[in-house]
Amino acid sequence: MQFQILIQQIVNGLSLGSVYALIAVGYSLVYSILLFSNFSHGGFLVIGGYICYYMLALENTQFWTSFINSESALARVFAKIWSPGLISNIWFASAVSLIGAGIAAVIVEKMAYKPIRERTPTTLYILIASMGMSIVIENLFVVTIGGRYKAIPPVIPMQTVELFAGATTSAFDLLSLATSVIFLAALQSFLVKTKWGLAIRAASCNLKVTGMMGVNVNRLIAIVFFVAGMLAAVGGIFLSARYTLYPQLGGNITTKAFVAAVIGGLGSLPGAVAGSVILGLAEMLTTGFVSSQFRDLIVFTLLIGTLIIRPGGLFGKSIVEKI
Amino acid sequence: MKKLVFLISLVSVVMTAALASAAEPIKLGYLAALTGEYAPYGIAEVNSAKMFFDKLNNAGGVLGHPVELISYDTKSRPEDAVNAVRRMIESDKVVAVLGSNTSSINLATGPLVNAAKVPQIGTATTNPAVTVDENGKVYPYSFRICFTDPYQGTIAAEFAYNDLGKKRAAILWNVGSDYAQGLREFFIAHYKKLGGEIVIDEGYRDSDVDFRAQLALVKQSGVDFLFLPGLGRDMGLIIKQAREMGLDNEQLKVVGGDGYGEFMIDIAGNALVGTYWITHVNYYDPNMQPIFKEYQEVYKEEAKEFGNVTLAYDLAKWVTDAIERAGTAEGPAIAKALEETKGLKLMHFTLTIDPTDHNPLNKPGIILTIGEDLKSAFFKEVAPK
Repeated sequence: MQFQILIQQIVNGLSLGSVYALIAVGYSLVYSILLFSNFSHGGFLVIGGYICYYMLALENTQFWTSFINSESALARVFAKIWSPGLISNIWFASAVSLIGAGIAAVIVEKMAYKPIRERTPTTLYILIASMGMSIVIENLFVVTIGGRYKAIPPVIPMQTVELFAGATTSAFDLLSLATSVIFLAALQSFLVKTKWGLAIRAASCNLKVTGMMGVNVNRLIAIVFFVAGMLAAVGGIFLSARYTLYPQLGGNITTKAFVAAVIGGLGSLPGAVAGSVILGLAEMLTTGFVSSQFRDLIVFTLLIGTLIIRPGGLFGKSIVEKI
Repeated sequence: MKKLVFLISLVSVVMTAALASAAEPIKLGYLAALTGEYAPYGIAEVNSAKMFFDKLNNAGGVLGHPVELISYDTKSRPEDAVNAVRRMIESDKVVAVLGSNTSSINLATGPLVNAAKVPQIGTATTNPAVTVDENGKVYPYSFRICFTDPYQGTIAAEFAYNDLGKKRAAILWNVGSDYAQGLREFFIAHYKKLGGEIVIDEGYRDSDVDFRAQLALVKQSGVDFLFLPGLGRDMGLIIKQAREMGLDNEQLKVVGGDGYGEFMIDIAGNALVGTYWITHVNYYDPNMQPIFKEYQEVYKEEAKEFGNVTLAYDLAKWVTDAIERAGTAEGPAIAKALEETKGLKLMHFTLTIDPTDHNPLNKPGIILTIGEDLKSAFFKEVAPK
């Protein structure tokens, strides 16, 4: 009996942890370059979720029909690649959502952070700007789209899958786990195999020196934000399919992802993944064996404990100026 | 200088007098969550009340005055609600506060309205402590138009134990909500009295979206009945996740309280089929159809949160009636008229107020169920014993 609960909660913890990981890695990536915690990261996640939702809903709307029937140049280009069912295809919608969230992240950086980082080396100001940005994004959705819950149409399979020892999971969890692994692996190979990846790794050691070596720092930062925005959108699509979509979705879950990134060591990508899995497991096991009411108590004690014993987190590199 | 001051004050006195003579509006406040997670309920209420008062104003208003409805957003937070009510009373000078629909909010604003002698009437504030103190003494300016949690808990317990034949129960509840805590307590008390056993009793937090850890315990324990004293989003997600974990309607019957909202169908879809909900309003009651139709016409959208739409509409009707009977738009007189309400025919029931606790007397509870067509259907009406 106890063993079965243990297996079930470990399965649940891994699946929750894999979604935390997608978000935590985005945090850590930005942190590793600019040394500040980007609190508007949750906003990118929500942007990704909404783009996916509206793409899926778009095909049957008046707007779309009139657009395709119009004779504008854009419509003619679009009509060439368009086939019935394409827009409401989850893969296409996800791709648009990823790119859209990536672009949104770049725009946020250019508008809100770039002017600050060009004027002052103190990252505290960017941190505060990012807190403001997260509230701005959330409320933009509240006033334009409204606070109502949106459910992504059931395009992602949700059937129950029986595992060993009586534990169960859903096809959705397996898919989200697989997707997380694929994206994290792709990120890793981008960082290791490409020239820009090399530049990003160099910048995470020292941004200034990287700039002096002839790397276009602004473009590098734009790429980092684009990648972080894309990862957030992947998390956003899975989160909104599972927990429905609403403007506050980002805030609730990214606090957890942030804690995971800190436990793992801000700025370290393997650390972010490890921290997410540890957090997911800790949450599920606490509920399974202690009580759900102790969950946050234990999770945040874990955070403080980690910071006391290893201030830089499990995989952290340095402890100077971590905010 | 002195002359100038005198002149200005004279002008302002004359102007105020002139304004007052041109039928000054009676100001009513409406307190509701208009943004945030519980906005769907709140927006429906304000819309519905506004629809009633617009119609009333076109017909000449009440006591010869038009009614001005001033709504403020609580963001579902007691601290914001307290600020909003303070503003309504001190700067807007409202004579009554309508809403909110949340016990936690009205518990927070209670001391304020009672000190200012401005009656406040909750729509779905079911926690008994909203209108009476711990000694059972009624707060003179706190009212409600709904039934209370002890009553709702009793209905739920009896329905589960007798009608569904479930002798063992699991409960998942929001530890941060006064409403959930109260309803849970009353359910447990009555369920145990009937002979039932609570096997799983697990909490969660306001911002939680993942309930699989708690549900794994439910599944493990083999209990086939779950009581949910929560609010729409939590309950929708809990049921959705339970079904995903393989707990289908046969393995886990679900009964929930009046936190039910139609938007849960958007959240959980098919997972809701076969669940039961105790609510205030029977959507299919022919008496109510005109309100829903009017709402659709005015706002170009379906009256999805029909419970809130009806409660707010009837609340507006009740307050108007009280002002009329009081003969004056002043807090204490309105409170007295509210307290003396007897046999007032509203859209969804006939209201008589119990002056000892400011609860509607003998208000029936409605049990809804969600059908295969993903629509809520009337299951049965439970008359109080």
